[in-house]
Amino acid sequence: MKRHKIKRETDFQIISGWIDAGNRVLDIGCGRGILLEHLIRSLKVRGLGVDPNLDKIQSCVKRGVPVYHGTAEDLLQAFPDGFFDWIILSRMVQELAHPGELIRESLRVSKNVAVGFVNHGFWLNRWATLLTGSRPTNEVFPLSWEAGHPYNPVTVEGFNAFASKHGIHVANTAFLKGNWRNQTRFLPNLTAGYAIYHLQATATSKA
Amino acid sequence: MYDPPTETTEESPGEIGIVQWKDFHWREPFTFDSGDEIPGFTLRYETYGKLNAEKSNAILICHALSGDHHCAGIHSLADKKPGWWNNIIGPGKPLDTNKYFVICSNCLGGCQGSTGPKSVNPASGTAYNMDFPLVSIRDMVKAQHLLLTEGLGLPGLFAVIGGSMGGMQVLQWGIDYPGYVEKLIPMATTARQNAQSIDFNEVGRLAIMQDPDWKEGAYEEGHGPNVGLAVARMMAHITYLSDAGLEEKFGRDKIRHEGARSQFDAEFQVESYLRYQGQSFINRFDANSYLYLTKALDRFDLFGESGRLEDQLEAIQSQTLVVAFKSDWLFPPEQNRSIVHALLRCGKEATYAELSLTLGHDSFLVHAPDLYTIVRNFLNA
Repeated sequence: MKRHKIKRETDFQIISGWIDAGNRVLDIGCGRGILLEHLIRSLKVRGLGVDPNLDKIQSCVKRGVPVYHGTAEDLLQAFPDGFFDWIILSRMVQELAHPGELIRESLRVSKNVAVGFVNHGFWLNRWATLLTGSRPTNEVFPLSWEAGHPYNPVTVEGFNAFASKHGIHVANTAFLKGNWRNQTRFLPNLTAGYAIYHLQATATSKA
Repeated sequence: MYDPPTETTEESPGEIGIVQWKDFHWREPFTFDSGDEIPGFTLRYETYGKLNAEKSNAILICHALSGDHHCAGIHSLADKKPGWWNNIIGPGKPLDTNKYFVICSNCLGGCQGSTGPKSVNPASGTAYNMDFPLVSIRDMVKAQHLLLTEGLGLPGLFAVIGGSMGGMQVLQWGIDYPGYVEKLIPMATTARQNAQSIDFNEVGRLAIMQDPDWKEGAYEEGHGPNVGLAVARMMAHITYLSDAGLEEKFGRDKIRHEGARSQFDAEFQVESYLRYQGQSFINRFDANSYLYLTKALDRFDLFGESGRLEDQLEAIQSQTLVVAFKSDWLFPPEQNRSIVHALLRCGKEATYAELSLTLGHDSFLVHAPDLYTIVRNFLNA
């Protein structure tokens, strides 16, 4: 099995473990619909994906995964508060133009939000930046600066600060080591290669 | 002899070959949405492929305003063109006639063999003309339902697919006969027309009704308001295309105009093209039908009195794939999206795709590989 496939499995398993059978789930940046297909088959969730890339849409349709071709911002405004049980933002926040806004809008539309991101605070990522002065390029982020692909260097500490600033309740977290497989609880800002947060809105965050 | 390939694959699709239309006669009174009644009706239709033993592989195609039942194959070897949607229907094509039993009927109110305003009213022995009841999208679907259940004995449909006015019928199918259809594919359509589309239809109708040959609809066949109908068609045809599409096809290319009688003879290729569209339309379309069908488009409104699309779409039980075209400015992507948004708010299973085809509203009629892929994937999933 390829390394990126193992990586995908672990964070999918953790998120799947948080979701209840029959839940209404929106996967933002669903790609080819692999996570949703798994959730629909194993948990009978009422799933929907959203992705701006037609090629990904075609793959979702082939899998039988309902999907919306467009931007998450456009789709979310069509829904009333608390419509979904879960919104999943897996490996998205690094690449968004306005990640904070999208997370907060997701918290309006969904009772629970799962955010998974590559931790730029992970010591190897820091080391790579220290050595090269540039953002890390690796198998997860193969594109270097000239591709113009956005890269927000989000960290565990930075994410915690964002949540507390907006009064967002962190209901659960999972930190994966550099192999994205085993969990770590020790100094996650330094030792976690990947972080997954379970967020919920509060009266403060809604204000 | 016309000899279509017998073994076909998705990579090298085959042709249907020669087809023959049939007529379905309903001999009992038919009540329209308006409450008006006619003593019976005829729908002209074609079928392609074979119905399976379980009767579970039928796909209905709903045609657009100026379309008809002849959507694939040819009627004779002398035909210059195949049916209007031949590039999506056939062995190995997305609407694969090796797998599916495909049906298309000319709609009620039409003029290609189905009962419409130029049909003979049995009560008077003359054409209905303006005595024909106002026909709605619901009436068209209701008549198709009779064809499928009473005429063809189908217990259900695997899918209903159509663009533009056909897309409206697809939605109405899902609403009026939930449970009858497994999958809906409306494309380049709208839950109700905006003022702009109503305006275009109104100009077309006025062009027809202002033509002295219209005679309150009581014109003799072959002596109708040809000028008005051609102008209506020419104007409407522009709304089906796009600036980029016309630019690509014609630009400012000029035609030779030596011997032109006046400085207002067609000078640009695009003018000549449009005149041809108008001329060929009067040979195949009836002006009264055009009035009735455009009115059906204008009055179609799934938002209803409550103004909530969900009140109507709530009834749908089918999986739905809505396809819009970026360059469509007649029923633009926003209007297609609002259908999907409402379906999703109702908790329905709906998929939306927006294709970057450049030819405008009529993009579904041209060679469109992205469209073929998504239709094929949606039907196969």
